[in-house]
Amino acid sequence: MQPSMGQQSPVMGPGSMPYGQSGQAGFSSMPPNGMYPAGGPGMGPLATQSTPGMPPGNWQMAGPNGAPPYMHMQGPPPPNGKGPQSNGRENKRKKTRRFPIWARVAVGFLTFLFIAVSAGAYYYYVYFSKPLSDITGQTVKRLPGDENPNAGRSSSNSGILSGGRFNILLLGSDDDYKSKVINGGILAQTDIVVSVDPVSKTVSMFSIPRDSWVNVPGFGMHKLDQAYLLGGGGATGAALSMATIHQDFGIYISHYAWVGLSGFVSVINTVGGIDINVLHPITDDAYPDDTGKGATDPYAYKRLYIAPGPQHLDGLTALEYVRSRHADLVGDFGRSVRQQQILSQLKYKLDNPSVLSELPQLAQDLDGYVKTDMQLQDVFNLLYFAKSLNQGQIGQYTLGPPYSTTANINTSSGVQSVVILDCARVVPFIDKIFAIGSAATCQQVDANNPMAVPSAQVAATPGSAPAQADVPVAPAAPASTSWQAAQASTMSLASGAGDFLGIHSLLDLVFLVAFESPAALQV
Amino acid sequence: MNIKRRYIPWHALCLLVLLAFSLQSCLGIGGSSGNFNTKTSGNGSVIGVNNQALFKGHIYFTQNRHLFVIDGSRNITQLTTTGDVRDPAVSPDGKWIAFINRYYDYSNLEYMSTSGGPWHILMNGFGFFHPNGNNAPQATQHWFAQPSWSPDGKTIIFLSDLQKLYYWANYQYGDLGQDFDQSPFLDMQVFYIPFKPSEPQFSNDVVMNNNLVALASYGDGGDRDPSFRPNTGSLNQIIYTHYTYDSSRTQQLIQIFMEDPYAIKNNPQIHYHPGDPGQEFSPGIAITPPSIATPNIEPAFSPDGKHIAYIREISSTQMGLYVMPTPPSNVTAVPSNSTVENQALQAYKQSKLLVEGEFVSQPVWSPDGTQIAYLFYANNQFNIWIANLSYNAKTNSYSVNGSLVPLTSGGVDADSRPDWTS
Repeated sequence: MQPSMGQQSPVMGPGSMPYGQSGQAGFSSMPPNGMYPAGGPGMGPLATQSTPGMPPGNWQMAGPNGAPPYMHMQGPPPPNGKGPQSNGRENKRKKTRRFPIWARVAVGFLTFLFIAVSAGAYYYYVYFSKPLSDITGQTVKRLPGDENPNAGRSSSNSGILSGGRFNILLLGSDDDYKSKVINGGILAQTDIVVSVDPVSKTVSMFSIPRDSWVNVPGFGMHKLDQAYLLGGGGATGAALSMATIHQDFGIYISHYAWVGLSGFVSVINTVGGIDINVLHPITDDAYPDDTGKGATDPYAYKRLYIAPGPQHLDGLTALEYVRSRHADLVGDFGRSVRQQQILSQLKYKLDNPSVLSELPQLAQDLDGYVKTDMQLQDVFNLLYFAKSLNQGQIGQYTLGPPYSTTANINTSSGVQSVVILDCARVVPFIDKIFAIGSAATCQQVDANNPMAVPSAQVAATPGSAPAQADVPVAPAAPASTSWQAAQASTMSLASGAGDFLGIHSLLDLVFLVAFESPAALQV
Repeated sequence: MNIKRRYIPWHALCLLVLLAFSLQSCLGIGGSSGNFNTKTSGNGSVIGVNNQALFKGHIYFTQNRHLFVIDGSRNITQLTTTGDVRDPAVSPDGKWIAFINRYYDYSNLEYMSTSGGPWHILMNGFGFFHPNGNNAPQATQHWFAQPSWSPDGKTIIFLSDLQKLYYWANYQYGDLGQDFDQSPFLDMQVFYIPFKPSEPQFSNDVVMNNNLVALASYGDGGDRDPSFRPNTGSLNQIIYTHYTYDSSRTQQLIQIFMEDPYAIKNNPQIHYHPGDPGQEFSPGIAITPPSIATPNIEPAFSPDGKHIAYIREISSTQMGLYVMPTPPSNVTAVPSNSTVENQALQAYKQSKLLVEGEFVSQPVWSPDGTQIAYLFYANNQFNIWIANLSYNAKTNSYSVNGSLVPLTSGGVDADSRPDWTS
């Protein structure tokens, strides 16, 4: 005869008895099921769920003499030695009194909640904590002279959109290889000032040519892209870039974000590449060969031939497809069409629920290729705000011709092809975009002596617009719309809302720099 | 005990076994996946061939830049394990495969025996970056792409940028803008070389011998998808896709052209102007309309030369595989005549849609003209599919007979033109 359960293991817990021969033997001595309802009202789903290997409704088997194991462990020994079978109704009443149903449900729920939160925290800690802390919250030590003209009148610390107009510098580097190996630093080939006005609900993207010949504070005349390098890259490089733009153009930069385009390549590879119909053959004999594993020379070129027609593009080819400037007669027009194609595919890929499983890898992809002094919540709020605008509220400007001309100049490092700004045109242009009045400035380069720091500084004509110091700062959260937008976005971030842990916002930042276009916000 | 016997779950075991088989099938574990036989290539990628895809002959294609061939018995053979191989084209006698071997900054036009063996270079694209003052360096490398054999197997036409070292954009032409002034002529054009085994051809000779077949407009994108018209006797005709811009210089016109491949060679008295937009005279004649909204690409002649399969971009999200009759043969004789130009566009109106999808591309006819293979995009992959055709002599049109059948699984290179031989 098979031993009964109770004889075999008087304190056996739920699930410890396999569903099989022994359990069946013990089953024969059990009382009618009515004594211990199958599935267990009061035991709730926790009891059945936490009993692996035990079929639902048969949890009674695990206790001695067929008694519920939970009862056996919690209650005192039966006084008459017969166990609860001797008086089922009384025992049921006792059970209910000692541990009411609602308490069991509550305990179960809290246990589930605890496990879920712990698992979530562990998941976040393992996969996201380091990348996100590496990316956001960089500390920038502002350089002397680069003080906020509106300091002391800053409205609020409650959020990036709760004050008045502010400017963010977007810096993009093709790759960090060139700088580390060749230059000992990183060039910032993309320099875009994004001006955000939460009150009027407008955003302006102001691109300054990377080859602009400017006065870098403490270093003299250099190309603008070298400011980041001369500053040592990272937060210090950003600080020098911010100070340069403030000094040379009168535009105070509140925050910065740097993006390494290798991160863009990694992101596309992580989502499995993209499949598009290449509308136009891409042939380019002078594409900068400075991105990817093969990049060993910052000034190298590579040749491109991307055939037309439907095809699969990996990350590097996709970057080449959107960035090639020589491949299309119509230049930026064709380029913008190509960008739209890539962005549409990215949107499709990133909106796919399957991308959730790739989020840890996407976070890893961004780690080291995105740096900003903004907090993640600010990045989210900012991009949420920008995305809520229509195209008419987002302006895109560049200091290309007629605001500048290209020229070959003799420098201490040889002849360089640079961009010389026409300050007479640049200053009113800046004033128009940033509304900083007499603070708008420009240092006119002497074509005959380009290495000399300009002594003449062109400023906005008086009365054209209020000076920067006079620009009224929006009161703390006065505009309910912007404040509400921030709050809504905060809720969205907390709840996911398509941007789990803010990864999508960081991707938006990458795309904004990679494409140098507000069209990236459509992703 | 009886209880034990009663509860032995044979039926559950059977269900588990069936479930295991189902999972194996769904996950593609093992040497076959459903109706697909699979083969793992040297680089670890897997290609599958559908046992239910019936066809005759051999279909050549590339996957992950390796050359494969599938025969009518659905056997897969990997022909290359090194290099970056694209655009296989088998000679009419079935002895040789011309293909492109691509390197980082250039590509070669090479060939090998269909039975395998060493590769031979026909055109070498190797070159250097030369310093060019303060400007970007001058690159002497070349691209080659999409070889296609003449019906007699004596000539190969192909795409290349061979003229880039001889022509530059001039600022006075076409108002290209300062950024393009004196930039090299990079657009791919169609050239030809005689095929002589073990006799490589030289880039300079091709240009100096005026072996130019089809022109491109500077900066407009150039040409693509060239191939000879078969079964035309002494008449020489080719077909290709031509990329250009409209008169506003902002909208793309992507059209299919036909032309006499030797028109330029045989008419040295006509002054051609490659690199001179709006000025050059082209012997090509458009057989699809100059519609901005409807690009037509990737033409392929039927084996009898009487029909043309091609791809039309129906919308930004849909493409279609169409078949149209070939325009009258005489349209390439006088391509610059407006009456002839209009005549060349008439056949397009008889186009019939055979297949539609998000991405449909690279049609190629079976040697007997009863099937068309094409690339179809599904489940994030491009694969080869086969359509069985029915020909209606009354309407002179083709239609799909039966179901469309996938031939491959695992994905193939969509930017590499496949070939189908007997």
